[in-house]
Amino acid sequence: MKTHGLNKYNRRKKRINLLANAVVGIFVVFAVAPIIWMIVTSLMTQGEIATGKLGVPRHFENYVMMWKNVNFFQYFRNSVIVCSLTTIVALSIATLAGYAVSRYNFPGSGIFGATVLATQMVPGIMFLLPLYLLFIRVQETLGIRLINTYPGIVIVYSAFFIPFSIWILRGFFASIPIELEEAAIIDGCSKFGAFVRVILPVSKVGLIATGIYIFLMAWDELLFAWVLTTSADVATIPVGIRLYVGNYQNRYDLLMAAGCVTTLPVLIIFFSLQKQFITGMTAGAVKG
Amino acid sequence: MNRSKNQSKRIPKRKKTGLWARITENKLAYYLIAPAIVAMILIHFIPIVSGIMMSFLKLNQFTLKKFLKAPFIGLDNYRTILFDQNSTMRSGFFDALRNTAIFGLICSILVLSIALLLAVLLNREFKFRGLARTLLMTPWVVPSFVVGMLWGFMWQNDGIINRILVDVLHLFPSKPYWLTGPAVMVAIIIPTIWRQVPFVMLMLLAGLQQIPDEFYEAAKIDGAGAWRCFRHITLPLLKSVLSIQILNGIISYVYSFNIVAMMFGHGAGFPGKYGDLMMTNINRNSFQIWQFGTGAAATVIVMLCVMGLVAIWYRVFQNDLVVKE
Repeated sequence: MKTHGLNKYNRRKKRINLLANAVVGIFVVFAVAPIIWMIVTSLMTQGEIATGKLGVPRHFENYVMMWKNVNFFQYFRNSVIVCSLTTIVALSIATLAGYAVSRYNFPGSGIFGATVLATQMVPGIMFLLPLYLLFIRVQETLGIRLINTYPGIVIVYSAFFIPFSIWILRGFFASIPIELEEAAIIDGCSKFGAFVRVILPVSKVGLIATGIYIFLMAWDELLFAWVLTTSADVATIPVGIRLYVGNYQNRYDLLMAAGCVTTLPVLIIFFSLQKQFITGMTAGAVKG
Repeated sequence: MNRSKNQSKRIPKRKKTGLWARITENKLAYYLIAPAIVAMILIHFIPIVSGIMMSFLKLNQFTLKKFLKAPFIGLDNYRTILFDQNSTMRSGFFDALRNTAIFGLICSILVLSIALLLAVLLNREFKFRGLARTLLMTPWVVPSFVVGMLWGFMWQNDGIINRILVDVLHLFPSKPYWLTGPAVMVAIIIPTIWRQVPFVMLMLLAGLQQIPDEFYEAAKIDGAGAWRCFRHITLPLLKSVLSIQILNGIISYVYSFNIVAMMFGHGAGFPGKYGDLMMTNINRNSFQIWQFGTGAAATVIVMLCVMGLVAIWYRVFQNDLVVKE
């Protein structure tokens, strides 16, 4: 009797697990299908897309044509340069500030923390026009060109992603035991020396996570790119990718190929550093 | 939060009470935050203040060159948006406001519930668990402008979605138009959820993994079923993570722009009366018909709405924000 009941329980548990797996499976299909469709259409000819006839997707010429039809390499290169510089600048500044707010209870630290959070409530469009006009003013009065230059867009992006990065890093630094610095200071390190030599090396995971986050956000940004980088020498991918479809042509095949090429770098970065990203983000962000 | 404060109090070893003494004692902290403060003043505060000032000016393509010296018209921009019955600006604003409210509410609810469901399901041992998590994460990594153009392409009348729904599943008698009329709301909500769920799921999963197994074992001994375990252990212990994700959601859905803008004419189009959101509306008013003053006024109104929502959020979740130890 007893074993029979246990069997029934086990069978029921098995059935529930199977159902749960099926639900996960359905969501996996939903998550992946659009991406697969993007890859498939990027390998179809224009005619196949228009008629909807599904042949074997093997039109690899699209991946050659897309670089010629639009000078996509230039936009791609610009995105890589802008996003890398942004990541370096924003991460360095945010690391210093994040460490300060996590370790020091200085007068004004509360206000600083609150301001950092408050900036997240302001929509990007609020800054956009004032910044644009401010940049024009700077150029007219000081002669420094900021519109359509790398420094201009990198300064804007960095400043943009600093507050949230401070917030992630603050949580991460708080999870590191303070005894590490105390020991280093007893051994004769200065406070700053203890931060650089002891804390930074053990914070690699948090720094990687924040860096990935900044890079993904910068890669993703389009509103400021549309206004502040209009000339092809500095314009990023969101500006260039619009040229495949619109006023002059309707090359959805090339657009999808460009979409795949745009996604690939961030996909590689994310999945090769996934573990660090998850540990780093959750150490800080989950705590809130 | 609690712990970091306790720790930070331990670094200054001598107890001094004077404000100046505390400032000099923490000199290093001020040096460390100085670059961030400079960046925030230049790129956040100055533009925000001038943006708010712009909302009181008659700023359009003729006066743009004058910037802040454009004619001052007081609250006229606000009056046009909120009360001028003859203004198309007003009807457009209220359409966008209504759409944003519906969009934000539906996205928040669906993203949180789907993400919570998936997080709970992934928090078990099963074959291919790592693979499933990785695949479920991919939508979040696809850049949002690619998401917008990809879904815009799929929603087309002869696109893949209609082909599946009508030609394969025969759910509709004829192919519906997803990118015009009231259906636009569906067409913008689904891609947004598709891209947002993975990240929220990841955060909730991390929160779930911090709940000790002993809690569930104890509950099982007391005879609690799966639902009661979820209701009385999982939900309360997940509240601090959930509350942060709710806040995140409020802000990101109200300010949603990239996906919707990219779906309609790749930033140049109009999502229509039933799909226009606040950010696409303001962006169009500012950069297509050059009404910067009213655009700034609309931005200020939306920002005040978000601040109100955040204040309500704070009142509700105040007690869950501190991690109890």
